[in-house]
Amino acid sequence: MGTQTETLEWRVKIPEKKIEGKAWLNLKKRVIDTGLCTHCSACALVCPVGGIISSPNQEIDFPEWEENCIDCGACIRACHRWEYTPLYDLGDYIDLTAGKSKRFKGQDGAMVTEFMASALEMGLIDRALFVGRDDEWRPVIYHIRSVDQLKNTRVTGTKYSYASVLPELKKAVEVTKKGVGVIGTPCIVTGVRKLQSEFKVFRDKINLVVGLFCMENFYYYQLRAYLEQKGVDLKKLVKMDITKGKFIATMTDSKVSFPVKEMDEIVPHGCESCTDFANVLADVSVGSVGSKAGYSTVVVRAEVGKKVLDYIKDKGYADFSKVNPEIIEKLTKLKKKRIKNIPEEYLSVAFKEDRKKNRENKENKENKENKENTE
Amino acid sequence: MIKIKVPKLKMLDSVKLHVDALLTGAKEAIRPGTITIEYPRERRKLPDNFRGYILFSPERCKSCWQCSFVCPANAIKMELASNNRYYPSIDYAKCIFCHFCVDTCPVTALRPTKIHDVVYKDLEEMYTPTEGMVNPPKIIREEKYTVEYVVEGRDLILKRTREMDNLIPEIEPHAEVKEYSTCFDPESCLACGLCVNSCPVEAISITTVGQERRLKIDREKCYGCGICVNVCPMHILKLVKRPEEGG
Repeated sequence: MGTQTETLEWRVKIPEKKIEGKAWLNLKKRVIDTGLCTHCSACALVCPVGGIISSPNQEIDFPEWEENCIDCGACIRACHRWEYTPLYDLGDYIDLTAGKSKRFKGQDGAMVTEFMASALEMGLIDRALFVGRDDEWRPVIYHIRSVDQLKNTRVTGTKYSYASVLPELKKAVEVTKKGVGVIGTPCIVTGVRKLQSEFKVFRDKINLVVGLFCMENFYYYQLRAYLEQKGVDLKKLVKMDITKGKFIATMTDSKVSFPVKEMDEIVPHGCESCTDFANVLADVSVGSVGSKAGYSTVVVRAEVGKKVLDYIKDKGYADFSKVNPEIIEKLTKLKKKRIKNIPEEYLSVAFKEDRKKNRENKENKENKENKENTE
Repeated sequence: MIKIKVPKLKMLDSVKLHVDALLTGAKEAIRPGTITIEYPRERRKLPDNFRGYILFSPERCKSCWQCSFVCPANAIKMELASNNRYYPSIDYAKCIFCHFCVDTCPVTALRPTKIHDVVYKDLEEMYTPTEGMVNPPKIIREEKYTVEYVVEGRDLILKRTREMDNLIPEIEPHAEVKEYSTCFDPESCLACGLCVNSCPVEAISITTVGQERRLKIDREKCYGCGICVNVCPMHILKLVKRPEEGG
């Protein structure tokens, strides 16, 4: 045996298959074909033969799986919808505030950018993954390594399209020295957490996870077709925004707005069964809901996030304001309703046990109250 | 930058040097073969570390790919042999004879020779597969002497000997660094088994017991080629030095 943790013998737990056939077939039948897949691309990240394709335009696929899939089961291990534990409500937090960055221009208060920039400055991470865009708002992933790169407004701001952040995350983890920062919607953050629980490398090398508030996300080609049909010229588009139930596309010369409800037809299946609005598993969750215009709501959940927030406060990089948590809770409740879209057999054992306990507690309480009342 | 100035000669020295040169020319005219080596009838004695044609000993090679990685001209290609091992092949149309491959080989499987005059019909033929590197190429030689320049005083004298200089110098193999593959982060293992398939000597094994895959590296079989280290998608394997035997 070597001096460190070098081993010659080790064991790896592999997931139980639900149907007969290769691992990919299991994942496809259970998660993708049923519309539960969130397009987080964690499977594409781990696939050792690199056969799983994650494109912003289509569902996750493995075209030549019959020949190339080696049936290792890594994709199943990485999938957080294989055993689905729905998350909802605002979640635990240490600090709740609204902020507006003085240094950057972003969607609202540019607090996501501010958090990553400060983490870079602090040396907590040496690269952060950002989803930027090209001329036509096609999502492109950037490895941000210095604060100056974030002055580019193409990198900051919301794109409302799926991007293959996680496959890039593997490349980032391979080259990083200090650690990586990731930004993501609840599905991506849950995917990262699942990866971290399964594989040690990700536990060691991902130091900051900033989550975004999210109602739904879109496939780029569908969003593009939809917006073009509404008369939006993507080349002139400056900003997309969803506020108060309206989708607002701001162009250089005009504005187009319509109710978000109309977009229901292009909401991907994965979002229909997602109940997490406030990004419960992130280190820090950021979103526009709950704070006044020009400010971002910041929900600090982990010590790392607190450290970065203190740094921002120390340096005076941002202005802070108050948050109205009621609006956030209203939206979390709205999204929680989607739990009915998840078929019973896909819920994880842990979730079912939790639910059972909660119900029993509730019943006990009610019984007690009833007894007290009768007495 | 240093500029070297031409020494200023006195008139007398200048005349003397000119006469010397004329005399040397006259000497060669009267008795030929005092300055020029008559290649290919004569063989020039070359130093033992001359960078010529490269020979390969497959029995020493451990398929570590270092030669192909280091090659600045990208002339070395690793070819899969029938025994499931990778061996180098050289494209002499690309080779710049830097001998970085020879220098980098950890097991002295590549050796230098003094052969510098191989003739090829076309560029395709200059690609030398592994088999072609094992033995020196066939060259018809008609040399009768070995010739060497010797400096004597101020003169450069050609010395001829009947004894043929050996074209393939004997190189003492350097001490081998013995290594074997280990996993330093088993908790990140995908259990995909790519390492198992890549191993040329079947030193890594994978067995599935229920919902568990057991991986094992046989330290005795492993000869430290490092192919699995390269193949592992999670990059969690590395080579470590084998402890000294008996120590």
